[in-house]
Amino acid sequence: MKLLFRIGIVQMALAAATPAFCQVLQIQPQTITFPSSDPDTVPVVAAAPVQVSFVRGSGRGGSGSWSITVRADGDLTAGPAQIPIASITWVAAPSPPFRDGTLSSTVAQTLASGLGSEPNTRGSVTFRLANSWNYSAGTYTQTIVFTLTSP
Amino acid sequence: MKKAVWSAVATAAGMLLLSTSVYAQTTATVAVNVNVNARAKLTITGGPVNFTDADPDVTATLTSNALNIQVQVRTAAAGNSSLTLAATGDLDNGGALIPIGDLDWAVTGPGYTAGTASTTAQNVGTWSGPGARTGTQTFTLPNSWDYVVGTYTTTLNYTLAVP
Amino acid sequence: MPASLRIGWTVAALLALPLPAAAQSRTATISVVIAATARLSVSPAGISFPDSDPTGVPLVAALPGPVGITVKARAAHGATLRLTLRATDDLRSGVTTIPAGTLTWTAAGDGFASGTLTVADQTIGTWVGSGVRTGTQSFLFQNSWSHPVGTYTLSMQYTLSSP
Repeated sequence: MKLLFRIGIVQMALAAATPAFCQVLQIQPQTITFPSSDPDTVPVVAAAPVQVSFVRGSGRGGSGSWSITVRADGDLTAGPAQIPIASITWVAAPSPPFRDGTLSSTVAQTLASGLGSEPNTRGSVTFRLANSWNYSAGTYTQTIVFTLTSP
Repeated sequence: MKKAVWSAVATAAGMLLLSTSVYAQTTATVAVNVNVNARAKLTITGGPVNFTDADPDVTATLTSNALNIQVQVRTAAAGNSSLTLAATGDLDNGGALIPIGDLDWAVTGPGYTAGTASTTAQNVGTWSGPGARTGTQTFTLPNSWDYVVGTYTTTLNYTLAVP
Repeated sequence: MPASLRIGWTVAALLALPLPAAAQSRTATISVVIAATARLSVSPAGISFPDSDPTGVPLVAALPGPVGITVKARAAHGATLRLTLRATDDLRSGVTTIPAGTLTWTAAGDGFASGTLTVADQTIGTWVGSGVRTGTQSFLFQNSWSHPVGTYTLSMQYTLSSP
């Protein structure tokens, strides 16, 4: 009996030490492609919408504030040619908790935020590129990082 | 080496917009029109024509100052133009006359022709095609003890004809 | 050491760990395709030079005015863009011709150059890299009495190229 009681205490302690649980962030698709378009007729090029979904359980952080941020690893590059990452903006829905924004490689930009549990939240994010004749021909790439954070 | 060429053209009306991919090539034109109409201009400077009195024994022929003539014509490539001269009458001092047929001229300049004045049109020059032609015309008059004292005048009319 | 005591130390050690923020990251790749392309606009589609007195108007300005040129190009990074102009022929009125070189232009706009029209390519603008460039060409016709009468035409061809 004594041994069983001690094991029960250990289990409770482990549960209390877990910061959150059942926290899942999903991005789909994971490649965002902008096709080449005529800047005169298509001044803003939209990529196919990205589905952002996450699940936050009722762990210790489940009742606190949370946020999803997005940050680029740098400007868009194609060899020596570059396009400023700030040329890409996004529109997101539903709002709240999602919000529109502009990509940055220096400061993580908030894509969504809230307070408390948001089970099964799903949003649609459409990235948009400001088109320009000034862009050099090429195929530009860059990685962006989505981060779900609960304090 | 591959060469990418883009071209644009203005066509019949309005602004031409032409967009091509990097390896395409197109050609087009902007039309240019130049209008050259028939035109003629005759410029005579250096007049009036004067003869200075002289001793007939010393100066048998009086020579006038020179007239500067410029003929400017625009004709067809092979179009002819001509310059003629006609006097309104004999040299007249108000009573006495010197026959206009005594008045001769010499010329310089391509296409110009020497001749004798008359009350009918006399050829001074002929040319073919457009251009600007400059020349001079100097008149001569036989000096004579028979001339009555006086100042003789007449008028010479020049006509530049372009077909 | 009793088993219960060992478990107790383990619990204490776990509780002593700092509590990190719960964070989960996912990455996505952005791909932007910029195809090489160009657009060249020339306005108006045609220009004309009215008949004028060569003496009073030795250089005739084109109507309706300057030719406006807009070059829009997406080229490889650092690539040179070259805009050339050539006449397809001399000014021609039937069998009569006036040299294309009687047409000159004065250019305005960054990268645009003034020049004289010929049947060979003349560079009228060079630039490096992608972008939009605008300029004008003010054409003049060298007037002359020697031009035969006629309505002359030629075509000007603009070509934008990149190596």
